[in-house]
Amino acid sequence: MRAVLSAMPAFLRESMATMFQYRGEILLWAIWGVVYPAVAMAMWSAAVAGAPGGHEIGGYAPRDFAAYFWLTMVIGHICTAWDVYELGYLVQSGKLSPKLLRPVLPVWQSLADNIAYKVVSLGVLVPIWVLIVLLTRPQFGIDRHAATFAVPAILMAAMINYLWCYNLAMVAFWVTRMEAIGQGWFGAGLFFGGRLAPLSIMPEPLQKIASALPFKWVVYFPCEMLMGRLSDRAIWTGLGNQLAWVAFGLVVFCVMWRMGVKRYSAVGA
Amino acid sequence: MLRMAQIQVDQLSKTFKVPEREGGFAAAMKSLILRKYRQVQAVDRVSFQIDDGEIVGFLGPNGAGKTTTLKMLSGLLHPTSGQATVLGHVPWRREAAYLRRISMVMGQRSQLNWDLPAMDSFLVHMAVYRVDREEGRRTLDEMIELLDIGHVLGKQVRTLSLGERMKCEICVSLLHRPSVLFLDEPTLGLDLTMQDRIRGFIREYNRRYGATIILTSHYMADVTALCKRIVVIDHGHILFDGPLTSLSARLAPFKVISIDLQQDVNGYPFERMGEVLAREGRKIKLRVNKEDAAAVTSRLLADLAVLDLTIEDPPIEDVIRQVFAGGNTP
Repeated sequence: MRAVLSAMPAFLRESMATMFQYRGEILLWAIWGVVYPAVAMAMWSAAVAGAPGGHEIGGYAPRDFAAYFWLTMVIGHICTAWDVYELGYLVQSGKLSPKLLRPVLPVWQSLADNIAYKVVSLGVLVPIWVLIVLLTRPQFGIDRHAATFAVPAILMAAMINYLWCYNLAMVAFWVTRMEAIGQGWFGAGLFFGGRLAPLSIMPEPLQKIASALPFKWVVYFPCEMLMGRLSDRAIWTGLGNQLAWVAFGLVVFCVMWRMGVKRYSAVGA
Repeated sequence: MLRMAQIQVDQLSKTFKVPEREGGFAAAMKSLILRKYRQVQAVDRVSFQIDDGEIVGFLGPNGAGKTTTLKMLSGLLHPTSGQATVLGHVPWRREAAYLRRISMVMGQRSQLNWDLPAMDSFLVHMAVYRVDREEGRRTLDEMIELLDIGHVLGKQVRTLSLGERMKCEICVSLLHRPSVLFLDEPTLGLDLTMQDRIRGFIREYNRRYGATIILTSHYMADVTALCKRIVVIDHGHILFDGPLTSLSARLAPFKVISIDLQQDVNGYPFERMGEVLAREGRKIKLRVNKEDAAAVTSRLLADLAVLDLTIEDPPIEDVIRQVFAGGNTP
């Protein structure tokens, strides 16, 4: 652990320096993260206007949709992870080998890249987020409980997404190409995470499926909590679910990493 | 001085399972249902021991098993069978305490961040290996001086020439002063001056820090300049393990006979006795099979007026070249 503590600040500095080197690309990725929540926000606001009565859909008025999708935008950014592609590339190209020779697991460097991207892109995103708030006047319902648990809920959401994305990425030790698997993961995240529509307005069977998957606890749960739509009991249940997904993710990580590296070193590192 | 064995290898083997199929669309379709695999024995029960501070050259043709052996010893590959310890650790357990004491330079795989100046990678490396700040600074200054890379430290790695990059690769690998160093083709693709400089640096590192070094290379000059001992591998087997000086005697299947004649000789059938390597006036150099050397010598002495005759093993470069060409049999 001392090696990790010594390495992480250096990894973060290196990652940030790399991001500054490719600031144009970082800018485009960050903006892309804003586009689809903004599109969903516009579509649902238009849908409310066209709905019978023209006031709301499933308990969401236009300003509720604005708040909901604004939150998916922000939390989606905080929780984003792309290791399905990154680790797949490292395994396929053999570039993982020099990283395996270090006395620190490669996942730490990957985590530093992840954090560095989120921090560096804030410079672009914060003004955009403020502008969207000014334009759409979202209606948040943050109460005392939501404020208390917002930070742990969002931190655990980021951990769940990072861990499970990395766990899925480790399939690359057995499968050569990961692009389709990655796309499937991101598609499922959009749908079952409530990033295309709030889960509460989806059919009951889909809501049940979503509850059994990690995505709901990454975006939908913190969003609903910060909108003040969850009871105390629902908040505690949600936090418990998040904790369980983090713990389960860590166990799967340990098992898959051990097996994956053995596999990698069996077929030719 | 009593030397300790730093690397002990016992009956180490590695077999790869490789998918294969014939070319063409039909074979591609067939392989969807019926996938064929072939077992490739990359390393076959090799055993050796390397002492503290030794520089050992691993030689062999492409696919001989040199890099696979190095990867097993560095912990990158799990062996199929056999045992090995390096610095008292089982390499493929990849314990942090072990990884902190070794380094591997792979000519084809970079440890540097290509998007940033090399200096940034050096600093990250020192943090990852928890190198003491003062000591790290001193080591870095030494490396910069020995490798003459002071002027490239601020340049983005992807803009460096191959030689500059390789020197930076070697520098980053050594910043934590590893006790065991695995060098896989460290001079690959470099010009002669740069090869020479890298060799000089490796020799100096070994002298200064007493590091144990295993080196694979396709350049004979690397081996002859650095290694007193060599291990020749072919098809996963060790063909030879011993001093460089006795390689020719053991592996070369031929001898070189040089004769200096008293007078010109025309029409004598030298070609039937062996390969004529050179003929300059009355001086002739013949390459003959090892087992024929005595008979050929007797005949030459009987038939011709010989002023001088020598029988030698072929030059080490020729033997190594033959090993690389795969033309050698034990």
